[in-house]
Amino acid sequence: MKAPMIGEHSALQVFRHNLLAAPRRLLDAMFRSGKPTTDRTRSTFVFGNVFLHLHSVRTHRWNLRWTTTMGLGIATTAAFLITLVTGVLLMFYYKPYPDAAYDSIKDIHFVVPTGRFIRNIHRWAANVMVVAVILHMARTFYTAAYRRPREFNWLIGMGLFVITLGLSFTGYLLPWDQLAYWAITIGANIAQSPREVTDALNLTDSFDPGGFQKLLLLGSDIVGDEALIRFYLLHVMVLPLALVALMAVHFWRIRKDGGMVRPVDADARLEPRSAETYPVFTEAPKKTYQLAAIVKGKTPVVGRGPENTVPSMPHLFYAELAVLMLTTLICIGLSLISDAPLKELANPAVPENPAKAPWYFLGLQEMVAFSAFMGGIGIPSVVIIGLGLIPFLDREEQGTGEWFGGKGGWPLVKQAMIVGFGASILIEAFIIRFGWIREWFPHVPQLVITLINPGTVLTLVYGLYSVWLVRRYNSTRAGALGLFTVFLCGFIVLTIIGTYFRGPNWEFFWSPADWPKH
Amino acid sequence: MNKNKHLLLWSSLGVFLLLFVAAGQENFGKEWRGIQKASRSTEGALDVRLRQIVNPTLGISDRCVSCHVGMAPGETGMTGPAVTAAHKNVVHQTADYGCTTCHGGQGRATEKADAHGAVHFWPQPMLPMKYSYAGCGTCHSSLNVPNIAGLEKSRSAFERLDCYACHRVEGRGGTIRPGGGGMEGPDLSNIGVRGYAANWYDTHLQRHEQASELPWKNSFGAINDADRAALSDYLATRVGASKLIEAKAQFNSLGCLGCHKVSGVGGDAATDLSRAGERDPGQLNFTHVPGAPILSNWLGEHFRSPLGIVPGSQMPMMGLNEKQIDLLTMYVLSLRRRELPGAFLPKDRVSVARFGAREFATDGATIFSAICAGCHGADGKGARYPGIPPFPAIAGQDFLQLASDEFITETIKQGRPGRKMPAWLSAGSTEAGLKPEEIQRVVAYLRQLGGNMAVITDTNPKRWVKGDAATGARLFAANCSGCHGQKGEGGEGPALHNKILLSSANDRFFVETIGKGRRGTAMKGFLDPSPVRRALTQTEIEAIVTYIRSWEAK
Amino acid sequence: MTVKAGKPQSRLDPDPMPRRDFLGLSALWTMAGALLFSVFGMLKLPKAAVLSSPSKKFSVTLPDSLAAGEVFVPPGRAVAMFRDGEGVHAISTVCTHLGCVVKPTTEGFECPCHGSRFAMDGEVTRGPAPKALAWLKVSNKGGAWVVDEDTKVPPGTKEKA
Repeated sequence: MKAPMIGEHSALQVFRHNLLAAPRRLLDAMFRSGKPTTDRTRSTFVFGNVFLHLHSVRTHRWNLRWTTTMGLGIATTAAFLITLVTGVLLMFYYKPYPDAAYDSIKDIHFVVPTGRFIRNIHRWAANVMVVAVILHMARTFYTAAYRRPREFNWLIGMGLFVITLGLSFTGYLLPWDQLAYWAITIGANIAQSPREVTDALNLTDSFDPGGFQKLLLLGSDIVGDEALIRFYLLHVMVLPLALVALMAVHFWRIRKDGGMVRPVDADARLEPRSAETYPVFTEAPKKTYQLAAIVKGKTPVVGRGPENTVPSMPHLFYAELAVLMLTTLICIGLSLISDAPLKELANPAVPENPAKAPWYFLGLQEMVAFSAFMGGIGIPSVVIIGLGLIPFLDREEQGTGEWFGGKGGWPLVKQAMIVGFGASILIEAFIIRFGWIREWFPHVPQLVITLINPGTVLTLVYGLYSVWLVRRYNSTRAGALGLFTVFLCGFIVLTIIGTYFRGPNWEFFWSPADWPKH
Repeated sequence: MNKNKHLLLWSSLGVFLLLFVAAGQENFGKEWRGIQKASRSTEGALDVRLRQIVNPTLGISDRCVSCHVGMAPGETGMTGPAVTAAHKNVVHQTADYGCTTCHGGQGRATEKADAHGAVHFWPQPMLPMKYSYAGCGTCHSSLNVPNIAGLEKSRSAFERLDCYACHRVEGRGGTIRPGGGGMEGPDLSNIGVRGYAANWYDTHLQRHEQASELPWKNSFGAINDADRAALSDYLATRVGASKLIEAKAQFNSLGCLGCHKVSGVGGDAATDLSRAGERDPGQLNFTHVPGAPILSNWLGEHFRSPLGIVPGSQMPMMGLNEKQIDLLTMYVLSLRRRELPGAFLPKDRVSVARFGAREFATDGATIFSAICAGCHGADGKGARYPGIPPFPAIAGQDFLQLASDEFITETIKQGRPGRKMPAWLSAGSTEAGLKPEEIQRVVAYLRQLGGNMAVITDTNPKRWVKGDAATGARLFAANCSGCHGQKGEGGEGPALHNKILLSSANDRFFVETIGKGRRGTAMKGFLDPSPVRRALTQTEIEAIVTYIRSWEAK
Repeated sequence: MTVKAGKPQSRLDPDPMPRRDFLGLSALWTMAGALLFSVFGMLKLPKAAVLSSPSKKFSVTLPDSLAAGEVFVPPGRAVAMFRDGEGVHAISTVCTHLGCVVKPTTEGFECPCHGSRFAMDGEVTRGPAPKALAWLKVSNKGGAWVVDEDTKVPPGTKEKA
């Protein structure tokens, strides 16, 4: 019988040929564009890939300068990716049930190969993520990148900031040690603190949002298995999903809002471009972009002469990968130096003394030590709303993309720093030395303390200062700069005091060495 | 772009390097690896791996045997570093009971500092070697132990009657047949595991009568009742954790239970000690404790000077010597009674939990020394501690002659409400006290302590005094209130304005006590003249008693 | 659909959406209403109708030696109990600020978390606590005392022995 033929080759020959060619064809099928060597193939490499397509195919050289973004957004993303990977690994061993949780962490620590290392990385990456997200926010603010048309993305960013803190807080509770138990207790009671107001107004029986919020968190009237499973679910599913969804919107909006912000005269201030980055599109485009016709505003430019842009592949990707690996390096390095803490098994009868939250919540904890409602809900809400309003109140255009808005900005920020640090340190020194209203008038109604406490006074001082700045400089941008700076300084001061100078019973100590020994 | 490439290159190299370091730590750096590599068993080099003893019923996963390889199940003939030595031969196999059950520490840990538990945030560090046997208390919490005197008596009976000839205890004795095939009688060191036959004396005697040759013929004979009781006591102390007996006997000799409860029995003026051996050192104040911040040091210092360690402590300075302090520390460390599944309950626990047995010997002497001696003195002569009003003497001749058995019994049963003396009769929901027959034994022992002093009865009714209460009040204020308080509420002397005292004492008790006083105490006889005050007449004394009685109506 | 045919304006701006599309609008609003209703349903979800937590009522025997002014804390409970001439009362030791367990001292109570201080009767003397420690219902059950941690009573309520 004659072997079946395909063309001039036998089917078997074709099969062999196909088999050998399969790896190359798989690559072709995946990337389509061939090796990214020419401008054209580099571009198709980018927009032919669902992940890379978040980037534009060409990147302005200004954006690649280290001082433009300092890579903070990418660092945040990198830290998130690290927590994602390590977190999934930890989930294989962690058991979210009060009796088992603590032992499972002990096992991760002691007998799961590399378990301790992975947990350390997870913990440090979470810390790095919080730092990076705060710095990223500050960078965005100080380069005025929140302005039109990026207002909405600023709001998304704030959402991401809040979710990052939420992830941190929920993760903190999972080991079910003393730290975790009392952090849950304090957290749940902060959620309940609107009662401070409803109680004072005699409303709690009919209107009790605080009680509902606490119930929502704990699922019971005690901190127990219901609460742990809730926090676990939030930590491993609800919040990460929300974070990823918002991140997608955040990245997408960066491009839709016209890419990275840069000053109007950015081109003039760049050094002459090198030969490597020029020219673009040496080949004639094989396809024209009809789609571009319906996009309004600043359109991507196709086929036109060179700007100060370089292909994203590989210039931008080198930068991004470098930041990713640098973040990884930092997380791993810290993990080798310091172990993630694990205290005694939770003991509902004896609180930690002092019971301290992770460092980034200690500013908040310092404020709840003035008033639970104002410190835990009132002032944070004012700050969040204030931050969210900034892009809608400051509609100026001058200085966008410049650090501190160009000339005159830095002196103003310096002045605001003096006010921010000064006011918060003064008020702290005052209450540490003289106490507050209740120490002078023991029978003062709670509502007075809720309204007038060091936290609200500080907020008021800061608010008035920035209003004064708006008048003084006749500029909303000046007010915004001042407001952001003073609040950042206040946050730093309260955090430092909460971290280093508060001891047992939340009393002031110059150093932990002075704490009463236990 | 080259800057970024450099950054990527160097940070990736850095990550590589750090991962290598981590891999080295993980795969080569662990202490237990080194120990296992350096050791050999009878079968040659060890398989280097984490080892553990798991017992879900006891809730343990003890990885201690990763370093202490010789104690791992099935490992024999280890040579290598000292830590790999086999466990000393004890009754319980490590393979069944694990390590932390007895020794404390952190079984899940695989590094020395963490495993031994002397780290922050681990509430139960290992028991110091010196107090290792306190670990027996985790399960054997209910040993039936007399006081020190009782223990000594039973030991000396065992010795005097030369039981050591045939029996071995703690490596001593059992030598009657040197070279002749070992001991005649069984080793009694650990009869806690098997218990002992209650009819041992009868079987011994029977064998002696049937025997025709050595050693039974010559070496055993009839034993009198007192000695037999002492020997039975001795055997009872060998049940369970024999290494704890001395410590517990010490505890039973100092009257600690007068104020402290242990597993539901004892006074309620002070901390419940039932699980005091498990206290978290992290919760204790070590400011004034010399040495390492571990529970045993805290306890020792606390026994030396309670107030110096716990501000505001009501515990008196007991004036203990170092040996007593050591034994007490050992005993308190042993108070770890863990909840156990039935299969692990030792005999002593079962007999207490199911059959209502006591955790102490229930003879009058032991009960008195375990409960009463702290305040009333081991000799019943009262006690005086710095900063605390003295406690009354109760074994004096004058007292015992006046106090009827009913009076003493009622006093023990109902206590003195509002004073340190609690009600000791178990009643209703409170099982903290004594059973009526135990109180009876205490009363009998008290009489014995006072030189077998019986009460002198008279024919008067309980209440017969009829004096002038107003005169009595004046005289009371002048003569009695200095010690007994303005309203009889007590001071240096006992409280008289007390419901239970007034209802249980008869008039003669008061009249004669005032008239004759109590020798050996600060209470002088008021009938006798004295250089500092005039003597009272019988009528005046009766007036005072009438005044005292007037409180009763209220 | 009742759509008025309008003039097509350009290739890129097709017909404007009609203003009164009754069917479309009612469909959308109904959908919104249904979703909103489901949210209301879910608001009931956060708490089981019966909580799995252990009973908050417990029975305790006070030591005979407990004198007036001294405090007794039943083991494992966040309650401080007192006895004096007027009777027995129990004060919750859960801080009204953020729920830490306060520690009894000779002058009252102090909270380890944020430094609130309370007098012996539970009144706030210092710190951020918004209200006094709660007095709990105590009842006498044949020698033992039953404390109900869920039922508050006005301060000063004492149960006779």
